[in-house]
Amino acid sequence: MLIAADIALSYGELHALRGVSIAAEPGRILGLVGPNGSGKSTLLNVLAGLQRPDNGNVTLDGRTIPPGLPHVAAQHGIGRTFQVPRLARRLTVLQNMLVGAPPPPGESLWHLLFRPRQVRRHERALHAAAMAMLHRIGLAHQADDYADALSGGQQKLLSMGMLLMGAPRALLLDEPAAGVNPALIARQIDLLRAVRAEGRIVVLVEHNMEMVADLCDRVVVLDAGEVIASGTPAEIRADHRVMRSYLGEPA
Amino acid sequence: MIDFAIFAVTMIAIWSVLGISLHLQFGLTGLVNFGQVMPFAVGAYGAGFAAAHGLPIAAGIAIGALLTPLLGLLVIQPAGRLAQDYWALVTLGAGEIFRLTMLNVPAIAGGVEGTTVYRIADRSLAMLLALALLGAAALLARRIGRSPLGRILRVLREDETLGATLGRNPFALHRLVTVVSWTLAGLAGVLYAHVVGYLSPGAFTVGETFLIWTAVVLGGPASLPGVVLGTAVVELTAVSTRFVAQWSHLPFELTANLRLGTFGLVLVLVFLFRPDGLLREAKARSDADRR
Ligand SMILES: Nc1ncnc2c1ncn2[C@@H]1O[C@H](COP(=O)(O)OP(=O)(O)O)[C@@H](O)[C@H]1O
Ligand SMILES: [Mg+2]
Repeated sequence: MLIAADIALSYGELHALRGVSIAAEPGRILGLVGPNGSGKSTLLNVLAGLQRPDNGNVTLDGRTIPPGLPHVAAQHGIGRTFQVPRLARRLTVLQNMLVGAPPPPGESLWHLLFRPRQVRRHERALHAAAMAMLHRIGLAHQADDYADALSGGQQKLLSMGMLLMGAPRALLLDEPAAGVNPALIARQIDLLRAVRAEGRIVVLVEHNMEMVADLCDRVVVLDAGEVIASGTPAEIRADHRVMRSYLGEPA
Repeated sequence: MIDFAIFAVTMIAIWSVLGISLHLQFGLTGLVNFGQVMPFAVGAYGAGFAAAHGLPIAAGIAIGALLTPLLGLLVIQPAGRLAQDYWALVTLGAGEIFRLTMLNVPAIAGGVEGTTVYRIADRSLAMLLALALLGAAALLARRIGRSPLGRILRVLREDETLGATLGRNPFALHRLVTVVSWTLAGLAGVLYAHVVGYLSPGAFTVGETFLIWTAVVLGGPASLPGVVLGTAVVELTAVSTRFVAQWSHLPFELTANLRLGTFGLVLVLVFLFRPDGLLREAKARSDADRR
């Protein structure tokens, strides 16, 4: 269970998050929706240790995640993708996939110099795993292209693939479907279903209400840094307050 | 002429080690170090200190080789908290502090007067030693560059936050790279001292850092052969302008400034027309990687 309890965070005068609490269960996909600027990305940042909240704390399976240390949060099993994909753009697609995995022995200078065979063996296995994942996300034919050369939608898929390579306990996805063509969205949906079936925790920030309704077991609605509603996708759709604040335009 | 060739090759080899050191820090990892001359100076002054205090040559090597990584750790420390741009200034300042200390504390190695160091009389031997050091540095850099370590360093270069969200501590990796690259530069400094046989603070100014940067940026910071190529071009230019000065009887100051101006122009042209330098980073292909 991934729990954020009473999170508050402000940028100077602006209260981006005010006493936000969410709980994401294993084997479930928690949707996080709300208008632009409501604090969704900021909340994911707090969960992933990228921003230190003014108040509140994060726990994963009962262990407190120290705030503001992204690499430590990742080592605890919290992985995230970004609204604007973060990739090593002058590295190939395959290399990006390889660094998605937990640090291999070959990242230690000691092993490089004195345990070359172990490094090589591990690299071979890692390559095979990365290629298999590239086949799964449908980017295998572009393994040797620079990540920069991919389309926006493919970059989002690649980010998701990198995340999956790390097999995190909790996956935080920031608008994976935004600007992505329907074929690739369908592929993302399949991937997320598989992740859920593995019993992992997923928090999905998404504007695409079809995708949310399709995938999410529960939905939390943020508005101006506060949770204004939560429930099943159907309940949220029926909630007038949500309609007014968020959807403005009918969903 | 042969003597000049041997001297030029020796100097190119020594400075190439400095270039490789910067390749690891900047080309691979993206750390901007404007005090690159510092580890070089520390290594050289390790030798200078030993010579000035009647210690054996081995002691000088040991001081140079051990003090550089330690000072590297000290100088990189603020980078854990500072934005990268500020770290560039920290290194610039640290290099100057070291030089000014050598200048003003004669007890260490002669102050402004400098100090003589045992000079390797056999110039061919000096050249061979320099080439051996270059070979070792190149092999190490190649091993790192083509490894998973090199891969994650490049990720930090592209996007440090990405590296952190992938569970790597960027600061720990920065520290590792700094220790390795500063040790290389320190060893180059020790050898330099024994090649020229005389040390004074004037040999380790910001101008030297500028020279290394020009070489690395020109050749291609992310390419190992590029760095050596760039160093060869810049060092040959630097050495030959000294010849031009002698031959043309132009004032030394003027040719020195002309040289500096030329390098500045080279930097601008590279930034404008060839931002990755003459040689680009080789693409890591999946079949090559598997080996
Ligand atoms: N680095 C920042 N500095 C100042 N304000 C920010 C920063 N990042 C986000 N904000 C503000 O915080 C609020 C929440 O932003 P964000 O979490 O990105 O919302 P969402 O992801 O829901 O669109 C917005 O009003 C945004 O303008
Ligand atoms: Mg957002």
